[in-house]
Amino acid sequence: MTLLKRLIDWIDVRIGAREVAAKELTGYLLPRNINIWYSMGSILLFIFAMQVVTGMLLLIYYVPDADKAFKSVTFIMNEVPFGWLIRLCHVVGSNLMVLVLLFHMLSVLLMNSYKSPRELHWLTGFILFTLVQGISLTGYLLPWSQLSFWATTVATNSVGAIPAVGQYLVEFLRGGKLVGPPTLGRFFALHVALIPAGIAALVGVHLFFLQRTGISTPPFGQKETTNKWKGDGYRYENHPGGIPFFPVYALEDLRSIFICLACFLGLVFFFPNLLFTKEAFLPANPLQTPAHIKPEWYFLANYQTLKLFPSEFLGLAAQGAAMTLLALLPFIDRSPERHPLKRPLFMVCALGGIMLWIGLGIWGHYS
Amino acid sequence: MENSGRRTFLGICMGGLTAAVAASAIWPVYRYLAPRSTTTTTAKVEIPEKDVPAGEAKFFEFGGESAVVVRRSGGGLIALSAVCSHMGCIVQWEKDRQDFLCPCHGGHYTAEGVVLSGPPPRPLTKLPFTVANGVITVG
Amino acid sequence: MRLRETVMNLTGILSAVLLFALLPLPATAAEIVCINCHESMPGRLGEPVKLWQDSIHAENGIACNACHGGDPKDAANAMSPARGFLGAPQETSIPAFCGRCHVGVMHDYLASAHGKMLGRGGPTCVTCHSNHQVFKASLDLINEKSCGRCHSFERARLLRAAMQETEGMIVAMDQRLSAYNGKGMDTEGLEKRLFAVRNRFHTLFHNVDVEMVKKESAAIQGDLKKIQDQLTALDQERRKRKLAGAGGISAMLLLALFAHLLRKTYD
Repeated sequence: MTLLKRLIDWIDVRIGAREVAAKELTGYLLPRNINIWYSMGSILLFIFAMQVVTGMLLLIYYVPDADKAFKSVTFIMNEVPFGWLIRLCHVVGSNLMVLVLLFHMLSVLLMNSYKSPRELHWLTGFILFTLVQGISLTGYLLPWSQLSFWATTVATNSVGAIPAVGQYLVEFLRGGKLVGPPTLGRFFALHVALIPAGIAALVGVHLFFLQRTGISTPPFGQKETTNKWKGDGYRYENHPGGIPFFPVYALEDLRSIFICLACFLGLVFFFPNLLFTKEAFLPANPLQTPAHIKPEWYFLANYQTLKLFPSEFLGLAAQGAAMTLLALLPFIDRSPERHPLKRPLFMVCALGGIMLWIGLGIWGHYS
Repeated sequence: MENSGRRTFLGICMGGLTAAVAASAIWPVYRYLAPRSTTTTTAKVEIPEKDVPAGEAKFFEFGGESAVVVRRSGGGLIALSAVCSHMGCIVQWEKDRQDFLCPCHGGHYTAEGVVLSGPPPRPLTKLPFTVANGVITVG
Repeated sequence: MRLRETVMNLTGILSAVLLFALLPLPATAAEIVCINCHESMPGRLGEPVKLWQDSIHAENGIACNACHGGDPKDAANAMSPARGFLGAPQETSIPAFCGRCHVGVMHDYLASAHGKMLGRGGPTCVTCHSNHQVFKASLDLINEKSCGRCHSFERARLLRAAMQETEGMIVAMDQRLSAYNGKGMDTEGLEKRLFAVRNRFHTLFHNVDVEMVKKESAAIQGDLKKIQDQLTALDQERRKRKLAGAGGISAMLLLALFAHLLRKTYD
């Protein structure tokens, strides 16, 4: 017996590791027509892990004090060995996470995998989407640059349009009437502790639901593309004769992660300044608003929507309605048909909505 | 089965390259975490004590920047950076007033580098020095 | 849209007013009583306010009382001599007036041919730099229209020519540092050094001595070279990083290829 086999045996007789491996890895069968979009989830897990690691490393040198924050980030970027690398990985990683998340949502939407029995996956996923937006927003303030300060001022201002409680909500978010040291304190706590814990917990729940229902079958290349789920009793969706997750789809997951890493490193080493404006390198000055402050690309559509509506409240309400529609999609769309090409009305609405979002974003960039 | 041979080969290639990538990622993280050496690599500067009579200041280059050593009328020595904390001009020593004046915007510092008046936001940085055998060693 | 913008503007102004009311600040336009009265006055009493607002002094928070003295917060005693009010200086007192802050330049000027003509038709600081609409000094101040008011431009032209090359180097260095700062590099130290060099260089002019300018230019260009060397070292560092990056990307693509081929063996 080799040493390795003896080690595995030792573990196996204690916790039945081989049984788990057989059930979750080599024996976990996936539909034969599975495609690359199904690896978006594991890419997200990888990026999240990388954000946590780079974030923890940054925590070692970052100081969450309004007087010292900017200098500490400058110190990391210029003096700490490879500090620039860790910081850039964290910045590029956060943008990549949002992008891959959008791809993940898009593929689930178009392949109609949010339908019964997977409503809970969609709901937890939607909450994860808002949490990721929240972690991006709170993280943006931490360098305490002109960009951080004023983008946060604009973003926190927007909830002021809610009638009655709006102004109080703005102050609650900021910890004061204006963005200042109290804002940094609470945003730091949110970004570093609360929201990551929330994301980790919800990812756990999201994966648990996935484990219980089984992986969905893509509607492509199938003869029968309607949803067969009856709702008369719990049943795990089996894929007999399917592809084993380990090693086959695991390799596809790895391939996707490596390609994503190639793009990631391309941005980190060759186009880091795509994600920075020159205001990102000026310390925050509460007395001087820069001429053109815009939010990050993934908030541009929201920004432009607020600019378009004559009343801020209506602008917020429109966005709230859109998000609610999105969250409740599995309950609104109950049609059994899953193949996108057999659902012209759905596709028009879905693609129309996506193009509207992209269009508003581009408009927001140039406005 | 030829597949099995190919599989092993590819597996080793992938495993090996992944290990190399992981190692090359560990190195920057180690350097990032390692404590930085506190001893500066700036070359020390030696100034004979007699070059700095009482009430006078001597300017010199230290670490690529302008610095000054002052012997106050009372007798105490002090070594400071001569770079004004306002916008970086080099301060001048005023013998009659025993203080520093920045010619750019009129900032005044005491002989110890503390801001007396004008726009400078911070005092002049103190430099470490030792005196032995009639020689002042700065750094 | 107009209404929305008005509301946004009002909210902005309200926030700004609250900000000024709640935080201790260096004297700014909103707090200075001088501006409150003078900006609505007609003619020469009101002009300075608008002129000052464009100036580099205003940009750096240096307001009326910094030069003219007086109390910027107390309207009743704003112009009281007891509070240090100096009024507008007489022509011969102008260099001392500006020289309270700009000490080095004042010494150089007083020792120069221009300074020796003070009060006898010679220029004061205001002649070239103006008094309220003071901009960041540049070589453009030395021009035929300005210098030609008193004498032929020949001497001034020589001086300007002597300064042109170094000035060009300083401007280029300033732009380069600004670009580096926009990419995240910590340029504060280097910017300060450049400022010191620039100031030393511009102060030189006030001696109006072409030979002195030529002599000092060499030393100043030497200082600029030191700054440039630091930037070159940083450039090399960046190139090394890009090389490492290219290596990393290639490794990832190669790994993706291996994973793909390995996956294919299971078909």
